[in-house]
This record gives sequence, structure tokens and C-alpha cells, in this order.
Amino acid sequence: MNENENNAASPYVIEMRHITKIFPGIVANDDITLCLKRGEIHALLGENGAGKSTLMSVLFGLYQPEEGEIYKDGKKVVINDPNDANALGIGMVHQHFKLVDVFTVLDNIILGIEPNTLGFLRKKEARKKVLELSKNYGLNVDPDAKVENITVGMQQRTEILKMLYRDNEILIFDEPTAVLTPQEITELMQIMKGLAREGKSILFISHKLNEIMEVADRCTVLRKGKYVGTVNISETTKEALSEMMVGRNVKFAVDKAPSNPGAEVLRVDHLTVRSKTHKKNAVNDVSFTVREGEIVCIAGIDGNGQTELVNAITGLEKPEPGSALFFCGEDVTHKSIRYKINSGMSHIPEDRHKHGLVLDYSLEENLVLERYFEDEFQSHGFIQFGKVRDYAEKLIDGYDVRSGQGPVTLARSMSGGNQQKAIIARELDKKHKLLVAVQPTRGLDVGAIEFVHEQIVASRDAGSAVLLVSLELDEVMNLSDRILVMYEGEIVGEFKPAETTVQELGLYMAGAKKQTQKGENA
Amino acid sequence: MKDPAKNKLKNKSSGSERCVKSVPGQAGKSGGFSSLLKKEGVRSVIASVVCVLGGILVGFIVLLLLSIFAENVSVGEAFSGIAIVLGGPFSGGSGRDILFQLGNMLFQSAPLIMTGLSVALAFKTGLFNIGAPGQYLMGAMGALLVALSIPQGSVPSFVIWILAFLTGVVLGMIWGSIPGFFKAYFNVNEVIVCIMTNWIAANVVSWIFKATGDRFINIEETKVNFIKKTSYNGVATATFGLDKLFANSYFDISIFIASAIAILLYVMINKTTFGYELKACGYNKHASKYAGMNEKRNIILAMAIAGALAAGGAALWCLNGSQDFKWDTYLTLPADGFNGIPVALLAGSNPIGVIFSAIFLKYIGVGGSNLAAQTSFNEYVSPLIVAVIIYFAGFSKLIKDLLAKQLKKAAIKADKKDSSGAPPAAETVIEDKTQDSASGVREDVKGGDHE
Repeated sequence: MNENENNAASPYVIEMRHITKIFPGIVANDDITLCLKRGEIHALLGENGAGKSTLMSVLFGLYQPEEGEIYKDGKKVVINDPNDANALGIGMVHQHFKLVDVFTVLDNIILGIEPNTLGFLRKKEARKKVLELSKNYGLNVDPDAKVENITVGMQQRTEILKMLYRDNEILIFDEPTAVLTPQEITELMQIMKGLAREGKSILFISHKLNEIMEVADRCTVLRKGKYVGTVNISETTKEALSEMMVGRNVKFAVDKAPSNPGAEVLRVDHLTVRSKTHKKNAVNDVSFTVREGEIVCIAGIDGNGQTELVNAITGLEKPEPGSALFFCGEDVTHKSIRYKINSGMSHIPEDRHKHGLVLDYSLEENLVLERYFEDEFQSHGFIQFGKVRDYAEKLIDGYDVRSGQGPVTLARSMSGGNQQKAIIARELDKKHKLLVAVQPTRGLDVGAIEFVHEQIVASRDAGSAVLLVSLELDEVMNLSDRILVMYEGEIVGEFKPAETTVQELGLYMAGAKKQTQKGENA
Repeated sequence: MKDPAKNKLKNKSSGSERCVKSVPGQAGKSGGFSSLLKKEGVRSVIASVVCVLGGILVGFIVLLLLSIFAENVSVGEAFSGIAIVLGGPFSGGSGRDILFQLGNMLFQSAPLIMTGLSVALAFKTGLFNIGAPGQYLMGAMGALLVALSIPQGSVPSFVIWILAFLTGVVLGMIWGSIPGFFKAYFNVNEVIVCIMTNWIAANVVSWIFKATGDRFINIEETKVNFIKKTSYNGVATATFGLDKLFANSYFDISIFIASAIAILLYVMINKTTFGYELKACGYNKHASKYAGMNEKRNIILAMAIAGALAAGGAALWCLNGSQDFKWDTYLTLPADGFNGIPVALLAGSNPIGVIFSAIFLKYIGVGGSNLAAQTSFNEYVSPLIVAVIIYFAGFSKLIKDLLAKQLKKAAIKADKKDSSGAPPAAETVIEDKTQDSASGVREDVKGGDHE
């Protein structure tokens, strides 16, 4: 694997030694050492907030470490900003791509280092180099397509080409698979392996164990800002890695009894929602039902109308005329959000900072966000803060919500996982007949995911209907009793998890296949 | 000082918790001040005081420069000048003068408290009420029309007073709700509508008074740009002898009314479901909508109440009975309306704080006029100095943030020093900035206040 070892004394292309990075009140990286061999794929594994991204940001020059040194080819270097990193051959594909939407792929690739004569672009040269690179590494892109018109996968390949165009030797991938379909993930894995074969060294941030097992050579595990260890992937197992990451055993499969659907709770009837961004309808004539005691999951790639669908159901957006929405048999199409909440609709929102929490309110104030007006918490218009406190403490205990100062902690200062737990506590403790959960485990680590899944299943078993929207196919397969695949605002397929595969779902999600609409309504 | 280590917080750490690091108690030598600084309220007060001191310093430098360059002013007068400004009414001269100025200052503070409350309440709801001058004018007009229209003797004069006050308040409420309505239903920025309604109010008031002619305009005295004083009709705010006590000044009970309203507002904002909703809408209107609150209604209500408060301030001023209201208002907007903004900023939008910041502004104002009266500085210098001090009030947020930053730095230092020494006191977790794409969408819709 290390054929090029002769061009430097050190076997490592990058050594980060004893890196310590402190943020106010927290040590994000505590004496972490990471050594990257030439031509290897090195995974960086850890829970949310374990310090993975911080460590990579230090390497990429976005943060300055308080302590520790970085060596490139055995020589000590100081990386003050991303330009320094670039000069050293370090490139990074961010989780959220940094591309100019209205530029072409080629323009994006050369952006910042445009070849020119007296200020006039020489694009021909650039194009030749880009085409050569894309051929050599099997990165299929159309250099003249505008970024806004190409798939996420191609956008990612554009990002990779950007690094290659700059002759970067060390490539950092920050959670590259989070936005991809299963097919695209497989493709990316091939590309990464190809890059490594060509002598590029790859750092691969992830908390998805399957991918790491498949593609990485070695893996460094971080936990709570501390270095846990580096292992060879060939000598370890998924279970061992997860234990290193979390510090305990984690169940991957969700324990749940077969579902026993009862009466219909939610009926969506010919629902259409206009899009705010493009001319087509975001949700186009969608009909389905959710019954008591079942988890119906909407699978799909982000941006195919799931958000608008949920917003229309919960009342955040108005559906187009002709749409109808029945909740426990009652027409609630034009009812207010509060009416829906009071009649038993719970909603774990997609964006917990935008919708889920008032970040400048304390935890206890957030826990009564939908109930402060109930007689339990107010009398004559005055909030009974004592009762709010008792209630908050009950939920904090019951749902293991952790925070600095208990009920009075500002929501803003809580970790993402605990913010999510607070929302889940609020939504599940409220009497509900329907739980609409949108990406309830996004950005959470395995431990927290396990907890959220258990809670959702418990809610189902208690007789409520669950509508789950998820982008994670593992979650879809694990949790749902029935799967609806959404593509470009339409339901293109309905499956039972036992009777389908991730690959099949992927084809439907990407729009390659489509079932003829099941006529549950005449 | 409280030892942070005493906080009875459990130091949990287990599997799913991430990025946990104890902040060791810095109870030692530096403990006193920094643990005091940890209180948000203390930081607000310190920030306001620092701003005021900064303003005074710059004001002094201005005086010094003027005294150096102006031929008729000696350098020594810069020192006595700033002392006079800082002395407020107490630099007014004899004991009787001081009492007189003090009484007037307290009377004049009442309208400013009200406009300060108006701006502060809007801030709490995430709105910027720059429309207080217009609401103030509508309030003045409403109060004056009623106070001068109902014939004396037909009903007890305190009933006229109450009717006049309420009319002013209702007019202000309507005026304030206009920008609220446009904001809520058409998403028009409230600042634009507020500025327009200010000038509309200024012209409407002038027009109505001009149209009614000498029915309201005071023509007995030779000047004709004032409305009759309400005392002509026997209507005046109760004084309970306060005016006599303070050397026949204008002092009446209006400042107590304003203070009582401030306390009521404080209770409303912090203790009621209504206040809870208003604040929620101000902090995050998306989450408020999600939680089923009617954010449109709340925006309109907040602006209506803000308008009522500013108008109430005007009514308190007019109904004193001995004040001249200049009716051709289309030329200038009332300064007390705009000054509500620095009052609210200086008070960190806290209604109780507004009482003190309004009195302070009037205090400096009295000092300013004494400056012109007692030194060779001309009358344009004193408003300049007062303006500089008010200007600095706007920096309170900046200072507050700097203090918070300083505090964090100190925490890091202490953290590094005794990484293992002291027992962990509290568990602090920073936000997850790695994966959570949700954190990309941050609410920036905020007023000037961030308590």
C-alpha cells in the first residue's frame, strides 16, 4: 500500500500530535494524536461532538489548536488558514458543499485559481485538465452543466475534482454519505478506493459503521474529545468499533413487536402543496392513511416534498384547494395549528432550532411551549412557575434530558442531542393520537438514536399512529411497519420493510422506478 | 460571593452524552467578581454604567476641546462644566432652585418612562418601535381634545381627566397597531411603517387643530402656536401638594403612575401567559407558530400596547395642566418619542430599568441646561453633551457582550490551569456545530434586547 514511501523519511504524510483545542467551557480535542499513512483511507469515528470535525478543522486551518503540532512528511508545519492547508496539499469536502449554484461545474472547479492572461480567463486549458482528471479517477461530471441542475452526487464529485485540480494529496471528507442515495454511496466508495490507489491519502469522517467497515484501512476513534484508539479495520468488527465509540454495547436493531394497526387516525386525501422555490407543486396529489399502532415511514431523498407534506399536515403551510385532511375522522384541513395540537397531534419538527425550540427560553419554558395555557400551568392568565418546574423536572428525569443547570438551562446552551430529547419529551408526554416525527435522529449519535427509536416504538405500542419522515434508509427499514417512497412530490411506491431491500428503495427514491398509484381512493 | 462549586449539580457523564467538560470553580482570588459577572442582570447593569461613564468621558473631552479653541471660554470651565452637567438639578443654584429643578425633572421623566416602556415592550416581541413619536402625538391630541371639550362642571374634573387619558391611550393604541398590522399580514418592515405613521400623525394633528381654530388654540396670549392648557378647563393631574413641596414646580403624581405601569408591564411580561407568548414570538416566531400561537395577533397586540404606552406618556404630559402643547407639530417630532429608544436600550428592555434610565436622561438634560446658564459655553453645547451621553447608551449591548466574552476567556484560563485540581462544578456543553445542519438556520429576528 505504501509504494511511495521512498519520497519521504516519515511513513506518515500527516501527523497530528497531541492536539488540544479548547472552546469556552469545553475541551473539544484533548491531546489527540492522529497519523495518516500515505495512500490509506483513514476513518475518523466518534459520536456527535466527539471532536471529529474540530480536529479536521484544525488540520484544515479553520481553528488554531491551543497545544500540539502538525507534521507534514515529517516536517513541522503551522496551518493558519485554509490557504496554508491548500498550499500543503490538504483539501476538504465539507458536509454542505461550497459551490456556486449558478456557475457551471468547470467555473466552480477553477474558482479562486482561475488560469488567466492579464485578467482574461483561459478556460480551455482548465477544461482539458478537468476532463483528464475526471477520466483518470472515474469522476463522471459534465463540466458545462450548472451546479443547480446536477444531482447531489455530481455536486460531490465536483467538490472532489476541485481538490484534485489543486493537486491536493490529502483529502478530507466530512460525512460525505449523509446526503447520498444508496447507489451514490456505493459509487463514492469506489471513487474513494480509486483515489487511494492513485496514492492520495484520505481522511473520512463518519459515524456510520457500515461504511467505515467497507472502505477504510484504519480507523481512529474519538470519544468526548479524547483519543480512544486506532485500529486496523481488517482486525476489528462493527460491534467492537461501536463499543469503542460509545463506551458501551449498543443495539443496532430496534426491538419491536409486529404492528397491530387499529382505527384510521390520519387520512391525507389528494393533498397538493405549492412549492415556494419552483413552479411545480412541492406535494402533488398525495393520498395515504396512517392507523393506530403503526409506524408509516416516508422515505425519500431530501427535498422531494417531505417537508411540505408534513407542514401541510401539521398546519405550518396551507395546502392548495381540493386537498383534504382528516384527523380521527374529522376534517381538519382548515383548522388552526393549536386546534390540531389540542386534539392530539404531536410533531417532532425537522428543524429543531427553527421550529422545535425557542433557544433563548429556558428548558422548562420550552417544555411547556404547547401547554402553558392549559389550566394545569396557569391560573387567571398567570403562569404557575412552580407547577412548570415540577413538570419540567418530571420530564427531565423521565427522558434523561441532560443540561448544565437543569430546568433553568437556556435551551441554546444545550447539546443538540439533549435539545432533541427535550422536544421528544414534550411531544410524547403530551396526550397524542398521532406523532409526526421528521428526521427525529438527525445529527444524533448511536446512543441517542437508540433512545429515540425506543421512544417512538413505545408511542406506537401505546396505540398512537406514527408518521415518520426519514432520509436514513437504515432507520426506515428498522423502524417502519409500512414504507411510502416519495419522489418529486409524489408517492411512487408502498412497501413492507420485510418484503423489500435498501437497494430497491433506493431505485424508487432516485426516481428510476415507480409503482402505479395504488387506488385507495376512487 | 457564591462559590460556583457549591452548585449542587450532578456531574453526569455516560455514553450518550457528548463533549462534556467540567468548568472548574474559579472560587479563588478572582472568584468574587467573575462569579458576580455570571449573573445576566449584573452584566446588564455594569454595561449600562460603563456606557454612561464612557459618554461622560467623551462629553468632557468635547468640552475640553471647545474650551481650548473657543476664545471666550477658559479651560477651567471645561472642568466646572462637566461637573455642572453631572450635577443635574443639584447644580441648579440655591436650595429652592434645586427643589424646583428636581420637581420639574421628576415630572418630565414620566412621559419618557412611558415612551421607554413602549420601545422596550416592542423589543421584547422582536419589534423595533420607532413610531413612538407619532403615537405620542396622537395621544396628546386625544387627551387635549377631550380635556378641553367636556364643559367644566358637567362632570367632576377627575372624570374628565380619566376620559381624556383613556382617549389618548386608545388613539395611540390604534396608531401603534397600524405598523403591527402591516408587519403581521404583509410582512412590511415595521420601521418603515412607523416612520411614515410618525409624519402622518404630525400632519394630522396639525391639520385637526388648525381646522378647529380658536376653539382649542390659545389666542389669549399673543403667540398662537400653542393649544390651551388643560387647566383652563379645570383639568389637571393630581399633585397632592407635591408641586408646593418642590418650590412651585410642575411636579405631579404622573411619575408614580408611570412607575406603576412599568411594574405592571414587568409582571405582564414575566409572569403571564400573554407575556410568555409575546416573548416567544419575539425570540422565535417560527417556533411560536409551530406551538400554535397566533403570531400575527401577538405582533399587532404588542404594537398596539406599545402605542398605548407612548400615547399615555403624552397624555400624562398634557394633562399636567400647565404645559403648552405646540400644535403645528408637522415641523418637528417630539423628542421624548425618540428618546424612548435610548431609554429602552440603556435599561436592557427591562421595564423596571426603564424607570431609572428615563430619570437619568432627564437628570443629565437638566444638567445640560444649567451648563448653558452658568458657564460661557453657549446653549448649543449642552444638548451636544447630552446627545453624546445618550449616544453612548446604544453601546450597552456591545459592552454586555464584551463582558460575557471576557468571562468565557477567564473560564478557559482557569480551565487550563487546573485541569484536574478542583472538583468539577458544573457541566457545560457547547452546541454541536459539526453535524447538525439545523444549526445553520438561526433566527436573527431579534430586537435590541437579548436577556
